[in-house]
Amino acid sequence: MAVIRGREKKSGGEIFTASMADIVFLLIVFFVLTYNTEVDRTQVDLPETWVRKNIPKKAAVISISSPDQGEVVRVSTGEEMSLPVSTDEEVITFASTVVAQDPAKEFIIKADADVHYQKVDAVLDALKQSKVKVIFLLSDQKTVDG
Amino acid sequence: MGVFKNNKREIESEIFTGSMADISFLLIIYFMVTSVFSATRGLDFALPEDNNETPEIKQEDSIDVFVQPGGDLQLDGNPMAREQIADKLLPYIEETLRENPKKPVILRTDPDATYGNMIYVFDILRTPIEDGGIKIETISIPTQREISNIWTMLGVAQ
Repeated sequence: MAVIRGREKKSGGEIFTASMADIVFLLIVFFVLTYNTEVDRTQVDLPETWVRKNIPKKAAVISISSPDQGEVVRVSTGEEMSLPVSTDEEVITFASTVVAQDPAKEFIIKADADVHYQKVDAVLDALKQSKVKVIFLLSDQKTVDG
Repeated sequence: MGVFKNNKREIESEIFTGSMADISFLLIIYFMVTSVFSATRGLDFALPEDNNETPEIKQEDSIDVFVQPGGDLQLDGNPMAREQIADKLLPYIEETLRENPKKPVILRTDPDATYGNMIYVFDILRTPIEDGGIKIETISIPTQREISNIWTMLGVAQ
């Protein structure tokens, strides 16, 4: 008996990947445009406010970590990574140096909402003594639920 | 005469794109891991310009907002619970400013209060007043050192 050999063609399952390159490049362009190097990576729970204004890029940053993390003060010129400071005098020295180089330099205070005000007061005083003109208090957006 | 057929094969020029997907995904992962959606907004305040003239200080010429530990207020010496601040602070200030729109608001904070307590009140003071309302022209945030200096100038023992 003759055996009929079936000429089965293997049907290869294929995912259409032609548009993948477009999507990938779109994502890359998005990340390149929105890429933002953060000079201070202190994890803080910012206070929430209704009123919020845009903060200029490259402003100097002074951060104060939460009481759980020891309310550590760190300073950054806005271009280099932040460094911890231990005394108010060091904050004054830092701010005075920055202001001497750029008298119009803005400063950001990035402090945890639970920080004792005494600590913020000391930083504010240091900035005032250093003749800083504009200070921004970093905050999160307040919501109706919050 | 036999025609000699040139048996040239066309060489296909092709850029090898097999590894492009790997490179692209590597870039995406890099940007995703290193980029930070940072908070870039907040409350601003400008510090006064240096002035050599000594200002005449009259305590009654300002609105004194004192933030206490726990978030309660003392508004011109009168207590105000934290729950009442949102509803009662601005109307009080507006009423006072109608008599004298130039009156500055002095925001003081107890050293033992939290930064969040202070920001809560400062945010309310900075809230734009509705139509017909009066704008707060000056909000001053003196530091403990400045307050001590003022009390000393006034001859008031703390």
